[in-house]
Amino acid sequence: MSFTPGISVPIGSIEKALGQLWDESGESKTRASLINLAIYSEEQDSLESNNAVIQGIAGEHAMRALLIQADPTAQGSSAEAWISMNCYLRGAKGGEVCSEQISFELRGEAARSLQSVVFSHLDSDLPLILWWQADFRPPIDGKLWRWVDRLLFDSQIWQNPKEQFELVSKIAAISETRTILCDLNWTRTFPLRQAIAGIFDSSCALPELQNIKTLEVSYATSFRITALLLVGWLADRLGWKLTQGGEYPEFQDTRGGKISVALHQSAKGEEASISRVLLTSSRASFEALHEIGSDLYITKAQGDCLATATRKVRAPREDINELLLLELSRNSQHSLYNRAVKVVQSLWG
Amino acid sequence: MNPLPFTVNPLREGIANRLAPEPCTLVIFGATGDLTHRKLIPALYNLAAEGALPPAITIIGFARREKTTEEFCAELEASTRRYSRTPVSDDLWKSFAASIVYHRSAFDDAEGYKQLAREIEESDQKSGTGGNRLYYLAVAPDQFPVILSQLRESGLSGATSGSWSRVIVEKPFGTDLASAKELNSLVNEVFPESDTYRIDHYLGKETAQNIMVLRFANSIFESLWNSNHISHVQITAVEPLGVEGRAGYYDKSGAMRDMVQNHLLQLLTLTTMEPPTSLSADAIRDEKVKVLRSLRPLKGEDVFRYVVRAQYKEGLINGQTVPGYRDAEGVPKDSTTETYVALQVYIDNWRWAGVPFFIRTAKRMPKGGSEIAITFKSVPRVLFNKNEEPLDENVLVIRIQPDEGVSLRMSAKRPGSSLRIEPVKMDFHYGTSFGKATPEAYERLLLDAMSGDATLFARRDEVEEAWAFVDGIEDAWKTRSDDLAFHAAGSWGPAEATELAARHGVTWRRM
Repeated sequence: MSFTPGISVPIGSIEKALGQLWDESGESKTRASLINLAIYSEEQDSLESNNAVIQGIAGEHAMRALLIQADPTAQGSSAEAWISMNCYLRGAKGGEVCSEQISFELRGEAARSLQSVVFSHLDSDLPLILWWQADFRPPIDGKLWRWVDRLLFDSQIWQNPKEQFELVSKIAAISETRTILCDLNWTRTFPLRQAIAGIFDSSCALPELQNIKTLEVSYATSFRITALLLVGWLADRLGWKLTQGGEYPEFQDTRGGKISVALHQSAKGEEASISRVLLTSSRASFEALHEIGSDLYITKAQGDCLATATRKVRAPREDINELLLLELSRNSQHSLYNRAVKVVQSLWG
Repeated sequence: MNPLPFTVNPLREGIANRLAPEPCTLVIFGATGDLTHRKLIPALYNLAAEGALPPAITIIGFARREKTTEEFCAELEASTRRYSRTPVSDDLWKSFAASIVYHRSAFDDAEGYKQLAREIEESDQKSGTGGNRLYYLAVAPDQFPVILSQLRESGLSGATSGSWSRVIVEKPFGTDLASAKELNSLVNEVFPESDTYRIDHYLGKETAQNIMVLRFANSIFESLWNSNHISHVQITAVEPLGVEGRAGYYDKSGAMRDMVQNHLLQLLTLTTMEPPTSLSADAIRDEKVKVLRSLRPLKGEDVFRYVVRAQYKEGLINGQTVPGYRDAEGVPKDSTTETYVALQVYIDNWRWAGVPFFIRTAKRMPKGGSEIAITFKSVPRVLFNKNEEPLDENVLVIRIQPDEGVSLRMSAKRPGSSLRIEPVKMDFHYGTSFGKATPEAYERLLLDAMSGDATLFARRDEVEEAWAFVDGIEDAWKTRSDDLAFHAAGSWGPAEATELAARHGVTWRRM
């Protein structure tokens, strides 16, 4: 491994070594932490990429970061650890604020005993947020999830979303766990959902939500699940019932009207994850656009009562740091997510 | 059977943990003034950029100066680029500025209001603002009567069925109880109290809002929050600045009216009120009013015993010589207006019986800052506290600005073979833990007014009770001025204030 994520320390001496690191830094540095953020990956070189993620967000969200690069399929058992600090200048006085980082490389049995190796190094009394970057594998280990306050994952990268959603549902169903599920792919849709919701704050537009006839969603390559979650959200919030699954889903609204849904995959490959959402009723149309390279959402409402209302709002950058910061700052329960997922699962039959 | 139509936007659930602002026309009176340029428009721009403004909004700037909407927008753009807390994007500004209209009229010109009515109606038709109107009086209080009466005469103050009409009033809310009552009556003749939003921007600050969270979301504090455990409380708001071109206003007002009557008494009420029955605006404000009603009145000779007023003279701040108050442009040479005030007050209720509250505010101090410091009673003079040198008390400090946060001073053993106890500080800084820039107070307050949430706005009875307390002091001061003390600019105030605190064995905190 050419990248070194800090000072190499024996696993049994991590806390002591961290203490020494603070002592050596003198009084010029302030320690800060709101959470324990553990990132688990089975990808080679993930320590390097996740180290970059932490450096990108620790200045905004103070934390003890635990990076885990695991190979549970390796023979034998080995574990290595490194410690480091992420420091940022803050405030008018320019003081340095620092967060701690512990990086682990685990192989074989050590990787399969995650809780004993890693979770003994948590900052006590602070919540544990575990970002699981690997596929979930059966059987689901209740002992592992009992430690976790929030479980982050990204359904956008799943190769087999149907199976993975089922496994995630099993984690949620483990009665003794209080883990809140946080799909970063759902968080990815948040700014767009906010922009779409904003269109219907108008008293003219609101009644049209009960008269929607068509829904079109344009998504970039590999963002089909993102698009489906958006469809699931709208269907759940508007009380639509699925009447036909498959490629061209159809729903029935609360008045018995038909809603046709079309999902378009963009061909160019440069678009935002979701580049366009179009809702039409018999009297009006509502559109949310996220154009190539733009940092804005443009929402348009057209109809008898509305004339044409166009609005622009700031769209966050579509990178993992922004996404993670958004999730950490919102810290919400995601009850809507579970309902949206049920709609998505029903689409698959 | 057809389902009932949506009365609330179902897509809003889970999006924001607050009431959604409603479409409206916002009319700013005094649109060419400093407040509009420095605070209101930058706040509205940031709200627009975050998609937090309602989907339909028209902002009408109402002022006397001759200019076009284009010229007005160009001026606003320049000031927003200067004062906005986030960088201004050309695209977003264009989109935001499309909702701004300039309306030139004198405040007393009936024809101007008729034209305004037509513009608002046009906005309702074109933009879907739904007949909702929010009037922001960003003007001096002497302009209130004419504007309010014109709004009533032109029919603009009334709301049509299914819509609302609200007014935001900037401080000062009067200059004494009589004028406050008169002003409140005037406002309430035109707008009911439920549609009247009196802005005290201190209440929009994150840390001020956090006082309630600190007290009522943490079980460790509330059980100690009373006269059994608290020795005294100091509330301080000081600044290094002088009158900075506001001499005309300030010399009539003074520190007592400018700061104590509103900001500092608001902080006092948040610190000392009982837990409200709910988080509704009126439940919270009911409790705050009870505190103001429990304040022991300061009148007559008591004022000279418990209140110190002073004025700064020439002195040094940051190594620079600054002139005395009476030497500032526009200040009379014989002015007796106080630029420093320190007072000791009591809250005569069960919780706070016997606890002195020391309040101070001043200009031309060595540095600026606002904080609430709660000093707990000493541990008994046994065990560790029986030596000649008593232990320092525990002090919980809530810093409002700058460097918002909370700290707790406590005692700890210094490592070593001998027993030596030292005060140590546990310190929480908002900026350290929460890296994200907090929104400006005006952003929160404007959004609240559009949403109909009056929690962070002062209610009529709060304002009047605060004036009733302050009037007792002002009335005594009118009888004589030989108590006016002086201190050098850049010092921490007059000796008289030190003595006031020392009578209770208290030392003013060094900020």
